[in-house]
Amino acid sequence: MSSSPTDTQLIEIVMPQMGVSVAEGTIVEWSKRPGDWVERDETVALVTTDKIDVEIPSPAAGRLAETLVEPGDTVDVGTPLAQLDAGARPGEAHPEEHQEEAPSAAPQEPKGRPDEETDRSGFHSPIVRRMADEHGIDLSGVEGTGIGGRIRKRDLVALIESGAETAAEPAETERPLHIESPYRPDEPAPAAAEAPSAAPAEAGNGAAPGGDILPGEQRESMSPMRRRIAEHMLESRRTSAHCTTIVEVDLHRVVATRRELKEAMKRRGVPLTYLAFVASAVVAELDRHPILNASIDGDEIVYHDDVNLGIAVALDSGLIVPVIRHAQRLSLEGLASEIGRLAQRARSGELEPNDVAGGTFTITNPGQFGAVLATPIINQPQVAILDLEAVVKRPVVIDDESEAIAVRPMTNLCMSWDHRALDGAEAARFLSGVKDRLEEWEL
Amino acid sequence: MAEMTYLQAISDGLREEMRRDEAVFCLGEDIGAFGGAFKVTDGFMEEFGADRVLDTPLAENMIIGACVGAAIEGMKPVAEMQFADFIACGFDQLVNVAGKLHYRQGVSVPMVVRLPSGGGFSGGPFHSQNPEAWFLQSPGLKVVAPATAEDAKGLLVSAIRDPNPVCYLEHKGLYRHVKGEVPEGDHAVPLGEARIAREGGELSVIAYGSSVPLALQAAEELDEDIEILDLRTLNPLDADAILASVEKTGKVLIAHEATRSCGVGAEVASLVSERAFESLDAPVRRLTAPDVPIPFSPPLEQSVLPQLDDMKEACRELLAY
Repeated sequence: MSSSPTDTQLIEIVMPQMGVSVAEGTIVEWSKRPGDWVERDETVALVTTDKIDVEIPSPAAGRLAETLVEPGDTVDVGTPLAQLDAGARPGEAHPEEHQEEAPSAAPQEPKGRPDEETDRSGFHSPIVRRMADEHGIDLSGVEGTGIGGRIRKRDLVALIESGAETAAEPAETERPLHIESPYRPDEPAPAAAEAPSAAPAEAGNGAAPGGDILPGEQRESMSPMRRRIAEHMLESRRTSAHCTTIVEVDLHRVVATRRELKEAMKRRGVPLTYLAFVASAVVAELDRHPILNASIDGDEIVYHDDVNLGIAVALDSGLIVPVIRHAQRLSLEGLASEIGRLAQRARSGELEPNDVAGGTFTITNPGQFGAVLATPIINQPQVAILDLEAVVKRPVVIDDESEAIAVRPMTNLCMSWDHRALDGAEAARFLSGVKDRLEEWEL
Repeated sequence: MAEMTYLQAISDGLREEMRRDEAVFCLGEDIGAFGGAFKVTDGFMEEFGADRVLDTPLAENMIIGACVGAAIEGMKPVAEMQFADFIACGFDQLVNVAGKLHYRQGVSVPMVVRLPSGGGFSGGPFHSQNPEAWFLQSPGLKVVAPATAEDAKGLLVSAIRDPNPVCYLEHKGLYRHVKGEVPEGDHAVPLGEARIAREGGELSVIAYGSSVPLALQAAEELDEDIEILDLRTLNPLDADAILASVEKTGKVLIAHEATRSCGVGAEVASLVSERAFESLDAPVRRLTAPDVPIPFSPPLEQSVLPQLDDMKEACRELLAY
């Protein structure tokens, strides 16, 4: 290769437009440092926005010349983040690479040769993934014989021929239909309860002088997502006049309907949950109460034509609210399918910025974890958020005249609403409408 | 059947077609009285006369141009480039005239350009090239590249009978080194059909021309479960055969003596990644000459052209992946 001098061609890497509503982003970390060679589309930085985390791909191949924004800095969309020298060549050494090079004169491995040292047990080729899917093989239990422990096609062929494939346990995500108590001791305690047991009280209560770390404590900085959630929640508390209204709903018809439809939908790949029924009733009822499908902008109330229904999804690391667009166009099955799809994408971190933008009403579902009452915080700038609680069997009076009592699957719908936009009567009428739709559900 | 060298099989195919069809004639530099630089047309002038075995001036542009004119008039010319490298001088007639007449005017141009190609004999940069990728970039030309004696005859016969201009790449290194049983008399191998040269299940080596015997030898010496697909025709490419082999093995090595960039290997790799992605178990790899002219110096030439050890190493790496 000739070593003719190369021309420097600086290209700017800018903060990309991530969805319509995102105006700024925060650099979490640089994946490359100045001087590193970067392939086109290789990730150079991680960026977090108030909606979502994004990897910034390089617009071209080249050498990262300079980073212009420090991790932690928040800049507007379009702001230059770094300079890339697209005129550089991959062979040219990084200034520091000289120091890293071993002094021995061992010849370099030819380019493109797979490095046998690297652990490849976690990398699965397209055919390996496909075969694992088709045969229901849990790859984590397969010993790879390729370089770096990679699972090869032949490993799976041998496994399948031996008839010993370890079927992946289908994740049983569905919660028990009814629970007698919100507290289920056989379940592992949620992460929050795993906090270290109370620290000795001797150091007093509250901030330790000089910021000393108390014995028996661990500190870690909040993840960007945690910080965003904290900011948004406080901001919403400051902004809206929160009020919470609760109705009790008898779900026996919904339970029956679900039992009727569940298997057929499952065959079509759609998980039918109670949430889908509630979503369907809410969407229908919003049509009669447009004030609840609205947002507040200064002194104005903005009524939205479409119902873009946010569904809160709990993640290990926090909470995200993907949005079902034009929810009013969807049937029960359509809603169930979208809920399943978005929850799946949320959990696998595949949501895109537009998936979480533009919601007009939000439903949250902590009931799946056993809760029976809550006062949720509104997702700004919306005016209401509805909370579906656990479905619990209770004795209820089912007939006013005879005062007959029956055991029925009951739940609470708790809705926090903004008293700036509406009053309690409207909120109660809306909730009663949802309640009626659920209690009178027709197959 | 008769045992023939690759070169004898080319002669045999050409002779058979000239005997069978009066419209077939050949032309080129020193092909008549001298019998051709490599003696493919030795004895042709005696058998067919100087009217059907034309010695031409050293002017490839004229040779190809004459072919086009004759083909339009209903003849079936078979031109010999003394070395494939020299086709560059006839390029305009081939690419811009012969390849486009059918599309422009609906005229068929049934002609064959024989292209003695390839290196390995210290012929230097003007006598050793493998220029097939040039023609693959030119719509309207068919391109064939036999690897065995039987195919050398059968593909030449089909090329002569084809209504399109066909570039017929005959590898000089195979001329006298490859021998095989060849059907006597009428023997045609259809264009556009690849051939499985060796069955296997762990790795597909997709090759043509001189890389086929190299791959066969490597597979024998490695004694591994390697499939070797001989493309035989480079345009039209037998996509079905390529995809079937990849779907079977999941690993692909494409081997050719021609230079690397934008070559047959790149085209096949692209086809595989577009249409067989979900069958892949390893990166698609190429074994080719680097993007340099062929050096005259024997040790340098050896380092440029893919060798048996290179083939074995590439196979081993992919098998181990």
